Amino acid sequence: MLAKKTPLLQSFRSLVFRHASHLSRQQYDVIVVGGGHAGTEAAAAAARVGAETLLVTQKKNTIGALSCNPSLGGIGKGQLVKEVDALDGLCGRAGDWAGIHFSILNRSKGPAVWGPRAQLDRQRYREFIQSELLSTPRLTVLEGSVEELLVTEPNPEEPGQHRVKGICLANGNHPISASSVVLTTGTFLSGSLFVGQTTSPGGRIGDAPSSPGLSQTLRERLGLRTGRLRTGTPPRIVKDSVDLSEAQLHPPDSHPTPFSFLNTHTHCKPEEQLPCYLTFTTPGVERVVRESLHLNCHIQQDAKGPRYCPSIESRVLRFPGRRHQVWLEPEGMASDLLYPQGLSMTMPPDVQLRLIREIPAMHRAEIHTPGYGVQYDFVCPTQLSPALQVKSTQGLFLAGQINGTTGYEEAAAQGLWAGVNAARWALSMPLVALSRTESYIGVLIDDLVSRGITEPYRMFTSRAEYRTSLRPDNADLRLTLKGFEEVGCVSSLRYQKAVRVRDKLQEALAALEAIALSSAKWRKKLPGIHMSENKNKILTGMELLEYNDASFEMLASVFPDCLSPYIEFAQRLNIEAVYKSHCDLQKKEIERVQKEENMCLSPDLDYFSLPISLSEEVREILDRVRPSTLGAASRLQGITPAAVINLLHYVKYTGQKERGIHRNQPNQKEQGEEQRCV
Amino acid sequence: NKPTQNYIRPCYFLIPSRGTPLSRLLCNCDEVSAGLASADTIFALSSGHGRCGVAVVRVSGPASVTSLRSMAGLTGSLPPPRKALLRSITDPLTREVLDRGLVLWFPAPHSFTGEDSVEFHIHGGPAVITAVLEALGSVPGMRPAEAGEFTRRAFQAGKLGLTEVEGLGDLIHAETEAQRRLALRQMSGELGHLYQDWSNKLKRCLAYVEAFIDFSEDELIEDGVLNQVDRVVCNLQTEMEQHLKDKRKGERLRSGVQVVIAGATNAGKSSLLNSICQRPAAIVSPIAGTTRDVVETALDIGGFPVLLIDTAGLRDSLDVVEREGVRRARERVEQADLTLVVVDCSNLPIDTQQAAAFLQEHLKSVMSTQKQNNCLLVLNKTDLLPEEQRQNLDMELRQVSGLPPACLISCHSNEGLQDFLTALHGNVKTLCGDPLSGAPTLTQARHRTHLQQCAAALAQYQRYRDTDLALAAEGVRSALTSLGRITGRVGAEEILDIIFKDFCIGK
Repeated sequence: MLAKKTPLLQSFRSLVFRHASHLSRQQYDVIVVGGGHAGTEAAAAAARVGAETLLVTQKKNTIGALSCNPSLGGIGKGQLVKEVDALDGLCGRAGDWAGIHFSILNRSKGPAVWGPRAQLDRQRYREFIQSELLSTPRLTVLEGSVEELLVTEPNPEEPGQHRVKGICLANGNHPISASSVVLTTGTFLSGSLFVGQTTSPGGRIGDAPSSPGLSQTLRERLGLRTGRLRTGTPPRIVKDSVDLSEAQLHPPDSHPTPFSFLNTHTHCKPEEQLPCYLTFTTPGVERVVRESLHLNCHIQQDAKGPRYCPSIESRVLRFPGRRHQVWLEPEGMASDLLYPQGLSMTMPPDVQLRLIREIPAMHRAEIHTPGYGVQYDFVCPTQLSPALQVKSTQGLFLAGQINGTTGYEEAAAQGLWAGVNAARWALSMPLVALSRTESYIGVLIDDLVSRGITEPYRMFTSRAEYRTSLRPDNADLRLTLKGFEEVGCVSSLRYQKAVRVRDKLQEALAALEAIALSSAKWRKKLPGIHMSENKNKILTGMELLEYNDASFEMLASVFPDCLSPYIEFAQRLNIEAVYKSHCDLQKKEIERVQKEENMCLSPDLDYFSLPISLSEEVREILDRVRPSTLGAASRLQGITPAAVINLLHYVKYTGQKERGIHRNQPNQKEQGEEQRCV
Repeated sequence: NKPTQNYIRPCYFLIPSRGTPLSRLLCNCDEVSAGLASADTIFALSSGHGRCGVAVVRVSGPASVTSLRSMAGLTGSLPPPRKALLRSITDPLTREVLDRGLVLWFPAPHSFTGEDSVEFHIHGGPAVITAVLEALGSVPGMRPAEAGEFTRRAFQAGKLGLTEVEGLGDLIHAETEAQRRLALRQMSGELGHLYQDWSNKLKRCLAYVEAFIDFSEDELIEDGVLNQVDRVVCNLQTEMEQHLKDKRKGERLRSGVQVVIAGATNAGKSSLLNSICQRPAAIVSPIAGTTRDVVETALDIGGFPVLLIDTAGLRDSLDVVEREGVRRARERVEQADLTLVVVDCSNLPIDTQQAAAFLQEHLKSVMSTQKQNNCLLVLNKTDLLPEEQRQNLDMELRQVSGLPPACLISCHSNEGLQDFLTALHGNVKTLCGDPLSGAPTLTQARHRTHLQQCAAALAQYQRYRDTDLALAAEGVRSALTSLGRITGRVGAEEILDIIFKDFCIGK
């Protein structure tokens, strides 16, 4: 059963989106700008935390749209989906509802790097997200274009420090005020679209870019450093025109695994899942790319594109003479389109057609919508705090591609966290950060705010140092409890479920530890297990599970009395047994890092005048990057151990500890109240 | 007129006639790494580097008490806090006495770091320091401290005031600067190339494993990639283990450089021994064949432990006892780190050119050609030569090629003895590595620990290669981290760079 109620099509159709003039109020705690993956998670999270929230989007019916690939999760990204779900976000449940092809990638490589992934039905995904937002208390959705971001003049006592006041809509007479604004502009911030030699303003095909006033405010009023990135999307292919018999069939998992910790199975029945198909490029593809380079202005621009999600043009140029994979993915249960993953391209449409017809299975293929490139502005994310708040502007939060990331999952993760903090800011609660030692979301945000980006940032499992501890299977234990107890973004229903899981797992582990037999006896009971220890060695049930060919199910069949109550957690226990010793070893290192993470450096420190011994070089680095914690500072290149010691002392003995991110609570409260009085 | 006084003294910790097995020096790798990971007790030489009268080795962390018990023989109650106690410092594994010195016990929180701490005040020779540091490294749960780690801990315990932190910060800066320079110096050499090469190979291995994990499923990363990694990891592991064993310098420091005095009967071998130790350690007489067995004396020469071994004169004898003595003498020569071939120069041909040829022949009769690389020729009894002949001989030996360095001395008049001792010291120093330049006693102990950790981590790769690639990759990653502590940190971005350079990733 899907634990959350299923969205009713009826209610979707009657979904009431407000117009500006009909808004019941002109003042909100949180305004979220943008209705993509970041925006929807942000709005939902802010409302869950308890803030009166307004979501403003250009077009109501594109809320929750999958602008590019019709899939969710994958290696590294699947972990993010699990974590967003553990924090009661939307995308995991939406994936379970809309998925039409589930598979766990990396199944053979160890549970820490399993990548839960699903192909999605675009329409169903959108419907779920829209219906969720509609049924979220305290959340209002407004269709409109944001003309301007309203901020205060800089405080004379704190030069360069602004505060958010609200937004102005393109055709609204009245400004709408709010304590917090979350910007999730995606590719829309000064977005331009590229097909062949044609360039037009836009954030997505058919959609106008965001207002120029918005990027102007960010750059000129707030003095934020911005850069430009590019990405692209492949043409959509008419399914009937493809000869799928010429491509390799890739079936989904026969037992689909849901993303959400709340779901035991997916909406789509196992046997109703759709397959994907695999085909390959040919030398003809390379020829077409080379012949049409002069007609392709996107590829000649210097804006940076992602190395791991390159257009077909950059793939054949960088690795000539090779065969490249092309995945043909379904776009939906009833869709008559296919998404050719791997064929992102920006050449003129007629050349696109020539190119795809060079590929087996697509010799007679027709293009429904041509591929195109997008270039857009991003804000250098080192200007943000780990709460995703702009350091120089109180109450302004950024999430998603505006921070230089790529991918739905990366956007959703940031959106959720920005929404949480935007609400906490508006409600005068201290802001919160996630550590890279406890979550992929923490890794993502820490990488962004302390290192910045040089290309669109995508999550990989290799970015997480503590990968063996941050597994998809234990995201609920890592985050749901904290999400309820400390953050306030998790419902009590989910919390109670996680508490039960935690307690049961602990009991089960204790039961496993309590079973101890000699190798010889184990061998007698479970002859299938290949044991190398000498026969007198005593092994606990836990140790036995470390063997590759042992499983909790086998043990439960031998010790039904003490183990069978936990059989529902068999898979988690199998994983836990293998990883426990490694994770225990990692704990020490994690504790050390966390200790340093807890030492906050105030964002307004004047590093040049700090009365401590630091070299000019170190001062410059610190001033430029403004790390928010000592941990982040010590990870910076060029920061010496001596500098860390001196900083440490400063932090500890000048009352800076527990400030920075959790800073100035009383002050903040005053500001919050003041804002509400405006 | 006792030229040897300055740098020769009895050696505290060497026990003659007992070889130190090689294996003991190489602590079990697994043990070391497990200890490193599970607990966090650090140690380091806290007094300055270089030769000094007393050296202070500081230990901080929960296992301090273990080190105190196992190395100062305190099985019963602990000494009163902060009171110096004179103890024999022993190796926890072999119970071998390393030195006699003061131990101080600082229970938490009344210590510099606020943790349980122990200080060992030992003799300042590099051999003793190295021995004690290595012994500490073999205590489970102990690892060498990182730069500034004591201070950081002291700081975290709230033990330092502002000025102290500033002073210590500067000190650490100086220290890390020195270490960086030292590392650079070491890195520019052969060793540096080796470590750098390993680091590069490991980086590539990690990148390949990570690429396989993060991309292979729907990308075109061939399975062969992992086989490549298997090969490299296997080779690296073997190379590192060989390297850890191969460099006998550490062992020499520990068990003493074996210096064997060999030569024909009545050349003055025992007199040389006595001259070096400045006491009648061996019986000397004009009768050929006085020394019939091996006589060992432990010495500290310029801070290095030396086991000086006098042997029976080499000659064919009918006497069964003497024949056994000669057999043992030849055996010792083959095992020697350094051989002092003593020749009675009054027996040399008067023509100096013929003398050189004679010496070459003589060497062949004493040892294999290979051994002649680690050899000093000692031409004794120069007091019996006319001054002119002595000078000619000296000149000829400086010019002639194909002979080991030669020293002309007289054990009778002590003539040339100082030059000989300088040469001997130089040789011993080379054999041990020079722990007095920079801070190698520290860095070497560290390098060893890191390399052992690295090799152990590679074993984790092999253990999990087929069952759990995430845990296998963890092995390569921690191997690289360990090696990175010598060659420099490797960040995640660097690994991604390799991935994107070597593989066509894209979807």
